[in-house]
Parts: sequence; structure tokens; C-alpha cells
Amino acid sequence: MTEYLIATTLSEALALLAQHGGDAQVIAGGTDVLPDLRAGKKRPETLVDITRIPGLNQVVVNSDSVTVGAATTFSALHAHPFIQERVPALAEAARSVGALGIQAVATWAGNLVQAMPAADGAVVALALEAEALVWNAGGAPGEWRAVDSLILGPGHSAVDPTRQIISHLRFPLPAAAWGAAWRRIGRRASLVLPILNCAVKVILQGDLIQRAVIALAPVAPRPCRASRAELLLAGRPPSDALFAEVGRMAQQESQPRSSIMRASREYRMAIIPALVRDALWTATHRALRSVKDPDFAAD
Amino acid sequence: MLIAFTLNGRPTSVTTDPTRPLLDVLRQDLRLTGTKQGCDHEGECGACTVLMDGAAVRSCLTPVGKVSGRDVVTVEGLAHGDRLHPLQVAFIETGAVQCGFCTPGMLLSAKALLDRQPSPTRTDIIEALDGNLCRCTGYAKIVQAVVLSAAGLRGEAPAEPAEPHHPPMGGSELRSDSRDKVTGQALYAEDMAPPGMLYGKVLRSHLHHARLRELDATDARAFPGVYGILTADDVPGLNGFPAYSREEPVLPEVNSTLRMVGAPIALVVAETAQHAEAAVTAIRVSLEELPHTFETNCALETGAFPIAGRSNVLATFEAAHGDLEGALSNSDHLLDTAYDTAFLEHAALERETLLGYPEQIQDPDGRQQVRITVVGGTHEPHYQQDYIAQALALPLEQVRVIIPPTGGTFGGKQDPWPFIATALMVYHTGRPVRLAYSRHESFDASPKRHPYRVRYRIGANQDGQLTGIRVRIDCNTGGYDGHGQYIANYALTAAGGPYRWTAVDGMARSVYTNGPKSGQYRGFGTAQSTFALECALDELAQALDQDPWELRWKNALADGERSFLGYPLADSVGYRPVLEAIRPDYQRFLHEAAHFNASHAGQPLRRGVGLAGMWYRFGKSGSLRVEAHAELALDGHLIVYCSAPDYGQGTNTVISQIAAEAFGVSRRQVEVINADTARVPASGIQGASRATFFVGGAVSQVVTHLRQETLGTAAEMLDQDPQRLTLVDDRIGRPDDPCQQVTLAQVAEEFQRSGKARRLIGFFDLSDEFPRETRPEYIPLFVTGAHLADVAVNLETGETEVRRMVAAHDVGRAVNRPDAEGQVEGSVLMGLGAALMEEHLPGQTTGFADYYLPTASSMPAIKVILVETPSRYGPYGAKGLGEAAMLPATPAIINAMSRAVGARLHSIPATPERVLAVVRRELQATQ
Ligand code: FES
Ligand code: FES
Repeated sequence: MTEYLIATTLSEALALLAQHGGDAQVIAGGTDVLPDLRAGKKRPETLVDITRIPGLNQVVVNSDSVTVGAATTFSALHAHPFIQERVPALAEAARSVGALGIQAVATWAGNLVQAMPAADGAVVALALEAEALVWNAGGAPGEWRAVDSLILGPGHSAVDPTRQIISHLRFPLPAAAWGAAWRRIGRRASLVLPILNCAVKVILQGDLIQRAVIALAPVAPRPCRASRAELLLAGRPPSDALFAEVGRMAQQESQPRSSIMRASREYRMAIIPALVRDALWTATHRALRSVKDPDFAAD
Repeated sequence: MLIAFTLNGRPTSVTTDPTRPLLDVLRQDLRLTGTKQGCDHEGECGACTVLMDGAAVRSCLTPVGKVSGRDVVTVEGLAHGDRLHPLQVAFIETGAVQCGFCTPGMLLSAKALLDRQPSPTRTDIIEALDGNLCRCTGYAKIVQAVVLSAAGLRGEAPAEPAEPHHPPMGGSELRSDSRDKVTGQALYAEDMAPPGMLYGKVLRSHLHHARLRELDATDARAFPGVYGILTADDVPGLNGFPAYSREEPVLPEVNSTLRMVGAPIALVVAETAQHAEAAVTAIRVSLEELPHTFETNCALETGAFPIAGRSNVLATFEAAHGDLEGALSNSDHLLDTAYDTAFLEHAALERETLLGYPEQIQDPDGRQQVRITVVGGTHEPHYQQDYIAQALALPLEQVRVIIPPTGGTFGGKQDPWPFIATALMVYHTGRPVRLAYSRHESFDASPKRHPYRVRYRIGANQDGQLTGIRVRIDCNTGGYDGHGQYIANYALTAAGGPYRWTAVDGMARSVYTNGPKSGQYRGFGTAQSTFALECALDELAQALDQDPWELRWKNALADGERSFLGYPLADSVGYRPVLEAIRPDYQRFLHEAAHFNASHAGQPLRRGVGLAGMWYRFGKSGSLRVEAHAELALDGHLIVYCSAPDYGQGTNTVISQIAAEAFGVSRRQVEVINADTARVPASGIQGASRATFFVGGAVSQVVTHLRQETLGTAAEMLDQDPQRLTLVDDRIGRPDDPCQQVTLAQVAEEFQRSGKARRLIGFFDLSDEFPRETRPEYIPLFVTGAHLADVAVNLETGETEVRRMVAAHDVGRAVNRPDAEGQVEGSVLMGLGAALMEEHLPGQTTGFADYYLPTASSMPAIKVILVETPSRYGPYGAKGLGEAAMLPATPAIINAMSRAVGARLHSIPATPERVLAVVRRELQATQ
């Protein structure tokens, strides 16, 4: 019978993983782990629950970054006043994961380790250029690694939950005016995997776009950035024509697959430009508003 | 491992594997069965929602180890003793409880919301409930209940159900069974686990079409915990149920073909579900794969691989009158068009779940006998009793079927197969046996709605007058008949609508393919044709540059006119009053949509308004005599015996209302005994739509008779003229003389003493009105209705939002208004699902993760208009409603979308992808 241990400190959790030498596994919300166990995909001897480690369920806002504890649920993320007001894209992405009853326990960090091809949490993490603090069982102190480098392929993460723990995620708050946006298309409004997810971040410098990030999924085996499209934006003023061009470039960079139950490759390709354009405009407007009113409220 | 936590306020501990889902531990170990399971522990339905430290979570995804030290609340913990939680009260009062299967989860999701946010907005409520599927209510009444109880919790409304003060009929009666459903006390089939119960499991084919070459269960039989492996050889009687489905075996013989994924091969009975599952995989089968198709046109090709018979055609139905060629050639305009629909799954929140057990009974001569009883949701228990008796070669008395509270069926649970299979397992083991389909299995093996291909040629004159109609319909009956033999008739009947045609040439056929077996589905084959016709009429209106409302109005059938079927309808048509009822909203919607489109020119979002009508035949075939019994119990209350199962649509309530009205007592004095073959008479096949009309008619008849007898006896006892006596509460007497009174209990005693029957038999019988020699096969009793949809479509992505709907229905007489509204709202959402998102792909669809049901946020604002054009025959003028309400929703939405995108959608579901394809095609054509 599998053991279920509730860790009370991070070092205890790491020690437990080390002790079991690969036969123990971290569990947070468990909404993905439990189906995997039932399907026999995983058979750990021990589950190490990290959700009751004090401090791991906190969101800390600094002047230049936000740090999110690994046990923070999507519900908590969505309800956080700063995130609601200043990073609505993250609040919206958190609200897109399954249903409320899943968001109440599922975590952002868990979503990344699960590494699903269109994971809401991963797409928004790429756009926010988030990093994860990864600890090795019985090893050196944790190190910050870019989320982009952690997701390798479908269901395949660089973080091994039998030997490693993500304790925190963090993303920068640019000093310049900036905004992020979230756009999702599914077969219905909620409780559904996406046909396409798009998250963008726009950083302004005066009237020009200093730099932007565009993340899309599923357009490849893993959520990824449309880097050539991003380049087109740097140093240019926002406009319909520009965003249309960027959308077409993002389309060219994408290689979505057909899914019988959701949508064909052709459809996914067809809607990319509109999605990217919409998201870029929303992010730009949010960025502009943050210039005008440093204390702007969410729309 | 020992896990200690707080459960409904009490310290609790269990010793178990900590990775087991909390749901299973609650239901199996702690016997708290109020928490429901709707999907395969996938988090896709929300029925299992409980509170963990105040947050609504899915107990099927929560390893029980996680709750150690935490506070868990289930539906059983909501009320304080007898005092219901305000949410429970509000759910009952608003009619938010239909089948009740989603109710526990809904209540807890709502409670979590109200605890953290006492004054939620409507959007907050919808968001909080968005992960809880409900197939019955359309969510409107549930949202309303949460609004109401939020007010109650803030001290702004009463917190106990108000006593109804109005007469039994036409008011808003509380559901008689709702209290059990909001407290988690109602026992559905899966909630019953008698001692010694075994578990059944079905070995099913994974191929679309195959020949069973070998079947060897030797190894599996030797498995631990296995009580039996049953194959075709173990069916003692008839290996089939041809009255329901020709050529569908209970279990297949070696060398016969399996015509669909999910076709049963063998049954396993074992000590536990796990043992059964292990043994299933140990049965050795060899299947020879055969060519397959899901398309009727492929199955119909000459030289197509035979699935059944030589032609793959199961049944054909034709109707013709007038000179079609003449009518068409004299028409100003001809429309040729075609429409396609998909396989749909009923998706009742309760999976197919049955319990069978042996009972010792005495036959009339006092000899001991074993009776096999099966408890499970279905539509007509006596039919199931019959099928079981034939398969087991038992006399009818040795088979009993009881319908417990049922978590929805919508026609899907009419399938006799699981009943026969359960009975067979009890027969061979002599033990109680539970058969529960998984959700995946339910998708594979339960009947679906027939996909149609409908082709029309319709003639019309420039002024909008319809002339001739030619229609050809291919109904995809899948691998097995499943009543597809009757579908062609219904398909064609609905294809003409409540309109005047000068000439008709119609033909429909049901065709075998290797899709899932199609069967009954709310509306029984009429929704698909209605969709096609009403969309075709919209196309025609556009081509003629006519207003679609005017076109329908101009051609609406009037009472007594020759219908599409070639003869007049039996009852009032009521279509024009329905059209009139929606006209003001129609014009307002059109105006607002035009305004929106003008002020958002060049933007991707387009609004459109669509209209659709319908007629629906609820008149039955066969015997027009329906039986019900009424009894004056010794304590003076009224007992009604009938067979009109309540699987969530509120039949029990309606029946007790009708009985109370006819007897002249309050509804609390009426007990309804329903749907148990050992206790009630057969009332004939029941679609939801027929229960009120036929069974209600029989109840009204027999109760009226019992009232006369009761008053007559009271008159003798009091030595009074019965005409001058009145019945008030439970006393009969002269209003002007309180000393001269007897109670109903005294009258019952007098019946008993004098040897007079306290239980009377009554019939609702239309045989004289419709003599067999002159009437058509089905008596032409129809209801009509019309819906209006206002949609917004994004032309760049194909996403659609249905913003508002208006649904007008002729119900003859509204017996219970909130119930009727609830039925309509539920139907509208089901129609919306069919229009936009629902599609079962054979062998691909696995469950709710890939079969998309509308959720709370899919719900448009719905306005229900009940039009009352009284029936000449129904009890108190009532007509049948339940199924009909679904029909116009889909075409109204599709018409609205076609108007919004400026091009015609011909297949449903109109997914974003299909919409975009139509938009792009149109764009290319106009460039
Ligand atoms: S049973 Fe838990 S969500 Fe369906
Ligand atoms: S009442 Fe909601 S599923 Fe039946």
C-alpha cells in the first residue's frame, strides 16, 4: 500500500525523497497525480504532500517581481488582489484550469511539472517569463531555472517529482509600462481543454513597444514562444497592421496538430492571427493604462 | 493507513489505502451515498463535489490521505437535524431539483461560494457552478435558487419551505421527492448495497465490426473471487429482445457478428468490482475484424458490406398525398437543400446502474418461489419485466422491476439490455448483483440519438405560400435496431411540421451502420427532422426575401385542416397562438441585432436572430386504454397506483396534483405508488410527454370514480343526499351542519365492513374517440411550439454565444408551472448542446472530457411562455410537453447563426471550426 506523508518543512520533504531514492513522489493538489495512479501509470511507494509546508502557499509581491509558493492553488492565485489588479492575465489563466473544484486544490507549479502540451499555467508562465526554484533531493541548494527550460515535451518535464521539488515560482515586474493578456479558445467556455491558448506580454517604451513575449499552445509538442513574431514587435509602435503581420508570423512559426475531439490543424492555424492580435491589443491597452494610472484597477 | 479527519462536524477515522479517492471512501466505507459519481473519477462532472476546509473540491480527485486533519462536509452535513440549510430550501422552492443527481454537488459548490461571498453577483454564481454538470434543469432554476438563498442567508427571505396555499392544479407545487434529494437521502440504484452483493462486469468488443470466432472463459472462471462467467449458452430463454431490437442478442453466439464498439460478449460476476475487472481481461476471445462504416450512404451503396440483412435497411416509412410534380412545377421558387446531424449521447448524470436480487415469494398456492427483482431507472417497468421473463424463461410473476429515484434518462435508459443482463447474473448466482456501467462504457454501449441526413425539395410561391414538399431521410440506426424500426415513422412525421402543404412525397428509412446503436432520445427521432425543416424554411424565407415569422404564420396549419400526414389532427393545433406569443420579442430582438451590427460594422462580432417552430406527436400507437388504480386507505388517505416513472421530470408530483384535484383533498393526503411491477398496473409506454396526458387521464378518471363512491357511502352513513355533501380536509358532511360529518377514515372502515372495494380500477380510454378501423396507426395528437434565439458569432474564430432565447409552447393546460418551465429550460440547453457542441464519435469519445455538454456559462437568458390552448381529451385540458420543448431550440440557434454569419450552416454541431469553414467559404465565393 502506498504511504501518504504530509511534509511540514521543505527539507523534510527533500529528505523523504532522498530516503526513498526514486520510489517516493511529490504530490500537491493531486488532481493529475490521482488519475495517473489509478491508471497505473505511476506506482510510487510513498506520496509526499507538500501543500502544508508553511510559507509555500504564499504570494509575495516585491517591487520588481512576484514570488508564488509552490502550494499556492489556482484559486488563491486568482483571488490575490495584486494579481487581479496588476497581472489579470495570470488571474484569467488560473480561472481557465478545469473547473473551480479543481482550481481549489491544483497548483501552478504542479501544472508545470505535469507538462501537458497546452497547459494553461505553462503558457502564461512563458509569457510572464517565469522561473522556478528547483531543489534536488539530498543535493545542493535550490536554483532558479527558467520555466521555458523545464518543459520538455508532452507529459515530460525537466523536474522529476521523485527526486526534485519546485518550491517557488517567480516572475519579473518590468520597471517600464507593461501589460499581459490571456486568450483561450475551447469547444465551450469552461471545463474543457483548450483548442488554443495564447498569452502575451508587452513592454512599452514611450510610444514604442520595447519588447514583447508571445506564448502559444498547443502548436508544438510543448507550449512555446513565437520568437520570430516577437522580434517583429521590438522597437515599433503598436498598430493594427503590425499586429496583423505579427499574427501571421506567429502562424508561420506554429505546427499544431489535428485532434479529433477538439479541432483540426487547419482550424488552429486559421485562428492564430486573430488570437495573437487580440491578445496584443489587450496587453497594449493594459500597458498604456498602467502608464496613465499607476494604480489602475483591473478591467 | 489510519486517516483521521472531521466529517460533517464529527471526528472520523478510517483505515485504508491513502491513495483511494475520497469519493469511494465516503460512499463505500462510510456509507454516505449522498455524494454522487457521474464520471470515471476524472473530475469532469462535479457530481462528487464536497467541501474540504470550506472549499468545494472534487472528491473523486482527492486522495483520502489528503484530508487527514481536515474538515470535510458532504451533502449529509448541510442540514441541522430536521432544519434544512437555506440553500436546500431554495433548491426545493425554485424547482432547481429535477432528477437530483447533480444536486448534492451543486449545493456544496454553492455553499462554498456563499460562505466566502455572501452577496455574489449572477456572474459569480455561474462561475461557481460552472464545473458542475446538470443535464435536466438548464441551470436557470439552480442559479435562481442560489440568488434566493443568498438573500435568505442575509436575512432577507424565509428559510423554510412555505406551505402552498393554492389549489393543487396550475400552481407551483413543490416536488414531492425533493427533500430526500437535497439531503442526500434519496437512494439511487448505486446507493443500495445489500449484504452479499456481487459485482457484474461486461466484456465488450473493442472493434467496430467483427465476427466472434472463439470464446474461452476457462482461465477466467478459475480467477479468485469469480462467481460466474456467462456467455450465450447461459441464456435459458430467448437470447434477444426483438420487440425492442431485432437481431440484438443478450449475449452473442460464437460465429455471430458484433456490429459496434461496446457490443457485449460475456458477463463476469465476482466478489468485488476489482475481481470482476481482472477476470474480464482473462477471458480469451478471438475476433475477426470486418469492414465497417459509420455513414448511411456507404452502408446503402450497392455491394456494401452487409451489416444486417442484405440491404442494411432496417425499416422504411412513406407518406404521400397530392400531385407533387404538379405542385412543384407550378411553384415560383424551388429550394433544394440537405442537413446533417450527429450521434448524440443522453448523458444523464447517473450512469446506467442496476441492482438485482432474488426474493422468496409464495405463489397463489402457497408454494415458495424465487422471484428475480431488478431495480433500475427506465421508462416502462412492465416492458422490462416482459423482456427479462422471456430471456430467463420465467413466468411474469417471478420477475419484478422497480424504478428507484433515477438520475435522468432522456430515453437512454429504455434499453432493456442492462436489465436482462442483471437479471441473468442474479439467476445464475442466486445473489444480489450490481451492474454499473462506467461513463466510458455508457458512451460506448448505451443507445444514442440517430444521426440523420435529410434532403428536401420544397416549392413556394413568391408571396410565401408553401406548395409541395419532397423529403428523403436516412436515419443512422447504428449497429443494432434499438427501436430504429419505429424511427422512420417519427422522422418523417416531424419533417412536415405544422404547415399547410398542397402535395407531399416523403420517405424515411433507418439504415444499419457500425456506429453505436441508436435508440430513444428525447423527442424520439423528431428533433433531427425538425432541425432540418425549420432551417430549410429559413433558407426559403431568405430566398423569397420574406420575413421568416410571416412565412410560418402564413402557412400555419389551422384546426381541422389536412396536415402533412394527409389527414387532420385530432386536437387543437395551437400553433398560431404560439407564433403570436413570440412575435413581440422577435421584433425587438431583430431590431436590437440590426442596431448592434450597424454600430459594430467591420468588427468580428456579428449578432443574428433565429426563429423555429415545431410540432410533436405525443399520441400513441397500439392500445389507447391506460390503466390506473386508486385506493382509499384505512386511515383515510388516498393512494394512487400507476406506472409513469419519475426519472426527474416530476411525474410523481403531477400525478399527485391531478389526484388531489380530482378527489378534492390536499396533495399531502395523496400517496403515489409508481413503477413497481409487483404493485401497480402497466400503464403502457411512457415518454415523459405522455405521462401527464394518458396516465394523468387514467388517474383523474379513477380518482373521480373513487370520490363518487366515497361520497355515496358517506351519504348513506349520514343519511343525506350525496349531492349536498362536501369534502373539506378529511371530513365529509353538510357545510351548514358540523354535527353531521364523517371522516375519510370512517368511510374507509365502512367500505371494509360492507365488503366494498377500497381499491378501484380505472382507465383513460380514447378507443371510442378514435375507433381502430378509422384511425391512423398513431393517433394524431400534437403539440406545437416555437423558439427564438439571439446569438453573437465571432467571424474570425467561429465562437458563438447564445445570448437570449424565448421558448413558447402550447401545453394545453399548465399543471405545474415551475416544472413546465424547468422542463423547457432543460430542453433549451439540451437543444443548445446539439446545436453547438455535442457529438459522439464512435470509438473515440470516452466521456465528459471529450463529449461537451453545456455548462452554466453556456446558458442564455431564457424566457418561457406557456400558451394554453386546451386539449379536448387530456386531463384538465393538459397536453404532453417534456420532449417537445427540445425540438425548436436547435434550429432557432442555427438559423440565428446562419443569419449572423451571412451563410448557411448545414450540419450540427456547429463547432467553431465548422462555423469558420462556412464563413471562409462564403468569403471566397463573394470575392
Ligand atoms: S465523479 Fe468527480 S467529477 Fe465526476
Ligand atoms: S437535476 Fe441536475 S442532472 Fe438532473
